[in-house]
Amino acid sequence: MTGAIAAQLVLSLRRQRTFLALLVTLLVMTALAGVIGWISHRTIIKVYDEAVTLLATTGTPAPPNPFDTKPTLALLSNMVIYIPLIGALMALVLGHLSMADDQSSGIGRLIFSRQVTRRSYVTGKMLGATTVLAIIMAASLLVSAVSLLIVNGALLSAPDLTRLVVFYLLSLLYLMAFALVGMVSVLLTRRRSMALLLALGVWLVLTFALPQFTSGLRPTASLNPITDPVSTSQTFFDVTAKARPISVSEQYKEASTRVLEIGTPESALATSWRVAPIGGLVLILAALTALLVRRHDYSRSSVNE
Amino acid sequence: MSSSRSRVMTLARHEYRAAVRSRALISLVAILAIVTFVSIYIAAIAYRSALADYQAYVAAAQAGGVQLVAPSPLRLLSLLRGAIEYIEIVGAIIAITLGYLTVSRERANRTLPLLRSRPVTTGELATGSALGALGIISTLVLVTGIVALLCLGLIGNSWATPYEVFKVGLVGVASVLYMFVFYSLGALITARTRVAANGLLISLGIWLLIVLILPQIGDTLDADNQIPGGLFSALAVDKAQETQILTHFGTYEFIRTGIEELSFAKHYERFAFAMSDVQDKYQGFTLAQLAREKWHDIVWMFAYAIALGYGLWRGFRRQPALPQGEKS
Repeated sequence: MTGAIAAQLVLSLRRQRTFLALLVTLLVMTALAGVIGWISHRTIIKVYDEAVTLLATTGTPAPPNPFDTKPTLALLSNMVIYIPLIGALMALVLGHLSMADDQSSGIGRLIFSRQVTRRSYVTGKMLGATTVLAIIMAASLLVSAVSLLIVNGALLSAPDLTRLVVFYLLSLLYLMAFALVGMVSVLLTRRRSMALLLALGVWLVLTFALPQFTSGLRPTASLNPITDPVSTSQTFFDVTAKARPISVSEQYKEASTRVLEIGTPESALATSWRVAPIGGLVLILAALTALLVRRHDYSRSSVNE
Repeated sequence: MSSSRSRVMTLARHEYRAAVRSRALISLVAILAIVTFVSIYIAAIAYRSALADYQAYVAAAQAGGVQLVAPSPLRLLSLLRGAIEYIEIVGAIIAITLGYLTVSRERANRTLPLLRSRPVTTGELATGSALGALGIISTLVLVTGIVALLCLGLIGNSWATPYEVFKVGLVGVASVLYMFVFYSLGALITARTRVAANGLLISLGIWLLIVLILPQIGDTLDADNQIPGGLFSALAVDKAQETQILTHFGTYEFIRTGIEELSFAKHYERFAFAMSDVQDKYQGFTLAQLAREKWHDIVWMFAYAIALGYGLWRGFRRQPALPQGEKS
């Protein structure tokens, strides 16, 4: 029955064209990340060449090209921003729709008039959402690999391909957390719009507010993959920095930059520790979703607004 | 007071009261208030320490008989940067929610047919709702502004001069205009969709594009943003040489700026940052000089506000009194 619930969710999202909309958005986003990475990289090389020529006329020795040591996967650095911004919002909507549609269309009541347990229902929903996100991530991985092939003119090496796969698995885990936030918010509220706004509030706090509290990152600093180091020597940060491990968007970005080799290198164990809070959040939200579904009254009248 | 004006004011008061009672809105406002306070608190603590260092330097210089003391490099209003950025991101969502609630509330409660049965014109209905929303947006911005100025004085140990308060006031006016555009967007799109929740979803998609994606693309394509600390600093190139190099990238810069120009949020940000001394280049500018520098952004902001305000009025006129094909 779990498989049937998951298949019904995927089919429903496909028929509503939500699946297609999510897939296209994420693929455009991946292609855009590649194009932006390529354009900016090409421009910087030209700027460097111009600077070298100009400095030579003044007799000043040119510093080494800051891009010489850039890794192959640096082209995709914008993905580290797009996943928490666009991808997480899309995952919220996916989670929201997977639960809200059953309530507003009365399908929930119909399902539970059959021999379906709450456990198989919630597992099926999570499995369906994971399948949709996994397909989207796999397609993004393919687009990223093709972008790198076009720009670099060579196939990805095995270690680079492994890094890319790990990055998209990490992104899948991160997006699952937000899909679950979307589901939980529907189960906690009676009105559909309130559920959407609650989920959005959680996204705002995790993406913008927590990084500022724990690391002093300004909201718009979250929009650029390259951020200037922020002074966090104040007493305020001595206290708040302790909460940095639970700032999942920061941990996701830090772990992703290490996986793609665009951040300061660190051991694999240290990177794994950054992933742990994201995994923990997914587990907690999954347990909460299961609990809320078990207690949810699917016989009550739904409110669409 | 004429009867028409009285009806508009009644509708505006109704809108204001209903918005204040909304739990969704209160939750978003609470998020904005907390993050704004913390952002100013963090900046003000650092400022207080820098101010103490500067005062110690001045005292030491005067004690040593130094006649010419370097002016303070500190810019008090630049501490408001975090607050401005939060209005840009969270404030826009609050405004969209306000607009969405304006329409969905009347639909869900089925009060729109009742309102239409009274001698109220569509224009009065739209004006009343917009005035009510302007009232709540102004209250929100005013409270944020007062808290910000108090934080600067009490935590940063530096009180704003009347001129600085006036400049903060101008940022406040721009913030109200900015949020009104998003309010109109939320109300207009919700009024045009059958299921109001879809209107909210579409409005949030547009918000994502205008507030986050377009500025992000513009920022990422900026050559100087590619290296922490700036590319030109890393290349040991001064400002004059930077300008000389960038003359070779005219088309690239034109496209990059063009992408940013499409974003209404960027125009608000540029104006607000110039008024609050966030950017070094505007330090010491008079209001007339700032207005001359930023007239382009001011025109864009008014153009957006007028276009969406007009769209809102038209949207209200076309909105059916009875919800169609919608479950309640």
